[in-house]
Amino acid sequence: MDATRWQKIKSVFDAALDIDPAKRSAYVSAACVDDPGLLAEVNTLLNSFENAESFIEEPAASEFASLIIESKTLKTGQRFAHYEILRQIGAGGMGEVYLARDEKLDRMVAIKILNEEFSGQELNVQRFVREAKAASSLNHPNILVIHAINVGDDANYIVSEFVEGKTLREVIKTSNLKTSEVLDIAIQIAGALAAAHGASIVHRDIKPENVVVRPDGYVKVLDFGLAKLIQQNAVGLEDATAKQNQTANGLIMGTVNYMSPEQAKGERVDHRTDIFSLGVVIYELIAGQTPFQSSSMSETFANLINVEPQPLSRYASNVQDELQRIVSKTLRKKRDERYQTIKDLHTDLKTLRENLEFDERLERSQSPTDKSATVILPATADNVNVLTGETSGKTIRQAKRLRSISTVVFAGLLIAAVSAGYYLFSARKTGSEGKKSLAVLPFVNATEDPNAEYLSDGITESIINNLSQLASLRVMPRNSAFRFKKDQTDAKNIALQLGVETLVTGDIKQLGDKLIINARLIDAKDGSQIWGNQYVRPTTDILAAQSEIAQAVVQNLRLKLTTSETQLLNKRYTENVEAWQLYQRGRFHLYKLTPPETKIGISYFQQAIELDPNYALAYAGLAEAYRSLAIASELPPAENLAKSRAAGDRSIAIDESLSEGHSGLGMTMFWGEWDWAGSEAHHKRALELNPNNALAHLFYAHLLSNIGRHTEALPEVKLSRELDPLFPFAGALEGQFLLHAGRTDEALARLQKTFDLAPMFWMPHLFASSAYIEKGMYAEAITEARKATELAPSQTNSIVNESYAQSKLGNRDEAQALLDKLLKLAAERFVPPSHIAQAYNGLGETEKALDWLERAFEQRDPKMVFLKVDPKMNNLRSEPRFIDLMKRMKFDQ
Amino acid sequence: MTSDAAKSQEISRILHEWKDDGQDASEKLMPLVYDELRRQAARYLRRERPGHTLQTTALIHETYLKLIGQQNVDWQNRAHFFGIAAQAMKRILIDYAKARHREKRGGAAENLALDEARFVISGEKSVDLIALDAALTRLSEFDARQASIVELKFFAGFSIEEIGETLHISAATVKREWNSARAWLHSEITK
Repeated sequence: MDATRWQKIKSVFDAALDIDPAKRSAYVSAACVDDPGLLAEVNTLLNSFENAESFIEEPAASEFASLIIESKTLKTGQRFAHYEILRQIGAGGMGEVYLARDEKLDRMVAIKILNEEFSGQELNVQRFVREAKAASSLNHPNILVIHAINVGDDANYIVSEFVEGKTLREVIKTSNLKTSEVLDIAIQIAGALAAAHGASIVHRDIKPENVVVRPDGYVKVLDFGLAKLIQQNAVGLEDATAKQNQTANGLIMGTVNYMSPEQAKGERVDHRTDIFSLGVVIYELIAGQTPFQSSSMSETFANLINVEPQPLSRYASNVQDELQRIVSKTLRKKRDERYQTIKDLHTDLKTLRENLEFDERLERSQSPTDKSATVILPATADNVNVLTGETSGKTIRQAKRLRSISTVVFAGLLIAAVSAGYYLFSARKTGSEGKKSLAVLPFVNATEDPNAEYLSDGITESIINNLSQLASLRVMPRNSAFRFKKDQTDAKNIALQLGVETLVTGDIKQLGDKLIINARLIDAKDGSQIWGNQYVRPTTDILAAQSEIAQAVVQNLRLKLTTSETQLLNKRYTENVEAWQLYQRGRFHLYKLTPPETKIGISYFQQAIELDPNYALAYAGLAEAYRSLAIASELPPAENLAKSRAAGDRSIAIDESLSEGHSGLGMTMFWGEWDWAGSEAHHKRALELNPNNALAHLFYAHLLSNIGRHTEALPEVKLSRELDPLFPFAGALEGQFLLHAGRTDEALARLQKTFDLAPMFWMPHLFASSAYIEKGMYAEAITEARKATELAPSQTNSIVNESYAQSKLGNRDEAQALLDKLLKLAAERFVPPSHIAQAYNGLGETEKALDWLERAFEQRDPKMVFLKVDPKMNNLRSEPRFIDLMKRMKFDQ
Repeated sequence: MTSDAAKSQEISRILHEWKDDGQDASEKLMPLVYDELRRQAARYLRRERPGHTLQTTALIHETYLKLIGQQNVDWQNRAHFFGIAAQAMKRILIDYAKARHREKRGGAAENLALDEARFVISGEKSVDLIALDAALTRLSEFDARQASIVELKFFAGFSIEEIGETLHISAATVKREWNSARAWLHSEITK
């Protein structure tokens, strides 16, 4: 290359980099219009720039340092770096595992050290590295968390979280697992594998030794030592190793009993090998032996390839047909005949587990007298007292009866009898003072098909919705009520937790084109049934049935309604049953709170709207779905925010009186448009329309907190939490708002309560990490941030917090590594630029932080709404550029 | 006069002569810096034990203090020194990589030793040190300043700002040069 030529290339390249990427190519073409050679060279360079990723960004020596150290081995009792070895906890073919204390973060870790003998062999080191890389790239609660890896002349070791528990092998030896326990374990392993397969990683060595079961039943999958990236694009040694492992070495490395036929034959393996191996594990857990095992290895091989396994019933009694079907399907010799994805297996296992649970409860709740019952007993005055305190038992008894008895015949009779029963009963009941309170618990899906769950959830939600419109009744919002979806056995306790006087419970079963719905109203004081009824209706009459139930509840609670309330109670948001069903399906997916499920939800809402273009609630659902996609921040937010806005506008254009429509619209204007005044107007309207709307209070509080009106925000969020006490989101946000109001200790106390309420919910951990940052307790901040990352790997908030806290601890390398992780991620998907700004800010790189905040502003990063109140940005507040941003965001008004 | 002090004066003399004959000075200085850096690195790492991250910048500054001490050296000479230190660091890393391989293979063919110098960086991308070194040499032929920016950044671990201070250019210029140099090197290596 000629120096002058290079200067020319550089000048076009430099100029191109300063230009918006979308316009770059046009600019370069124009700049090189008379020099095609130059054009090609600049484009090559730009292309290379795009693809260079982290190429030589990290200083060489920090990566290669281990090269410089003389060869040394580690011993028990030794102390090195910031680890103190406590004791050996295991030894395997490749090396030893030690329990150690991480002095920096004051936590227990496990350190797996590849022994010297093995370190001497290239393949082992490669395998060791692969294990760490494979496992650390995964972030799943059922996969062991890798903290660090070291490969070098001194020692090769992996530092991971320390899991207290027994290996599944030990568990098998010492205890006899029940089917439900087997399923619990298998479901968690399948969940871990689903995450691995999702990241194109195959474990290849699933066996009881590689699964640890904690005392609380929580499962961790370890040892990704044989794991292999499905689409491996590494070069050089790595490739050669992979090939060798597939052939001769594969046989030695895997454990024969758990191998798939293709693995045993040395063929190329894919994710379906894990499905097979998990099948073997499940088989062993039930049967007490693996399906192909034999006295000699060669015979085991032969069995694996040629012989069908014995049915499970040969070794165990009471094996469900469905379990046998699932296991057989995992153990098909031809992988094309197996489950094709671990997710399918996961779903089947879960469904079986749920059904089993249902049946177990059924068994448990059957009292001896009940077993002889062959006719349906309506809730008359006589048996109301007998049923006291057995809400769930009754639900299940009824469901069980429904399975065996042709109930349709009795329907008419029943309704009459039940009504009579009620009036006798209610005559004795004294009226309660003040506002009455009620929770509608999730109706049980008594249909065999788990896909009908949207119906049971949907009817519950619709009843809640209608009843919530009444001023004289306090109705528990859906979010708290649905905490009791799985277990409704203890009515009194549930009512106590929710703080309500009465409960509505029920179940719904679809039989052909008929629906059989049971509904009951229960007095929480003593668990007695105030009212109960069974509705048998054509499927198309579900909306009418739901209105009838709501009306019956009102009547039986002796509520006096105004005319407008009566209208609201009977309000139908659509007359089209099919549209209603589609809407409920959409809701069902939306509540799963993940971007893919949300997208499914969107398609259902759209279908609902196609059938009923005036379905305001479906538009509100659509607005909510798009908004959550935007806030989840995996995709550039602008498009989804615009769609959310449009759907929200439409929802209130159709029905101005829709509280949910206004509240959602207010929220979209808050996140997406930074229109504080406009947002406030809609929030206020939403609350005027329905003061019981807990979510509207919460959303309004969010706006108030973020614009700095803390004294108004805090009572508002408290009210929301009191209305919806078991909705962990409200508690978590209250913690955040307290933090942003400068009340850090109160924030932590509130978050602690929220941890207890929802241990698997990531948000309280995130906010706790922010609170610890404020208190200068950076190690605690890191621990909490990591918990949040573990529970919700796709969000980047907690990575930022961890990086920030690491910076403050003086661990710049760790902080920078986390920032690099974000930057790398940002090349693959949308990462809120404001998050990257905060990581830079932690590192003290003020200018970069401000650059990224400006980028966040330009890209309408929804997380910019925290600009005014996030204390992590306090050091920037006097920067002119920051002041300007505050102005542009109208935070100064 | 102690040998350290003598060495320090010697280095200072070499740096002062730089303007007259840069090539010669560089050749004289290199082995001194190389030895000292290596000694510092070993001491540093022995102290830290595994789990360390090697702070190359600190290492080089320590070496600088050791070799130059408190003597007055103008910025150009400092820049020369750091440039040489970065190159020395590069040599050390490549030499270690080769040596380690020889130990294991008992002096196997040289081309295998080259393979050994391909190490994983950031757990994701391999960087082939030997190929990078070769590409850097080519780059230095038509843009010496860029090559030295890369050496300072990647081998000496200097930040963009530190490089700017060392070379007396703005951080923005360093960043620009770094971008195009990195892109060029990446395209050379992945060719």
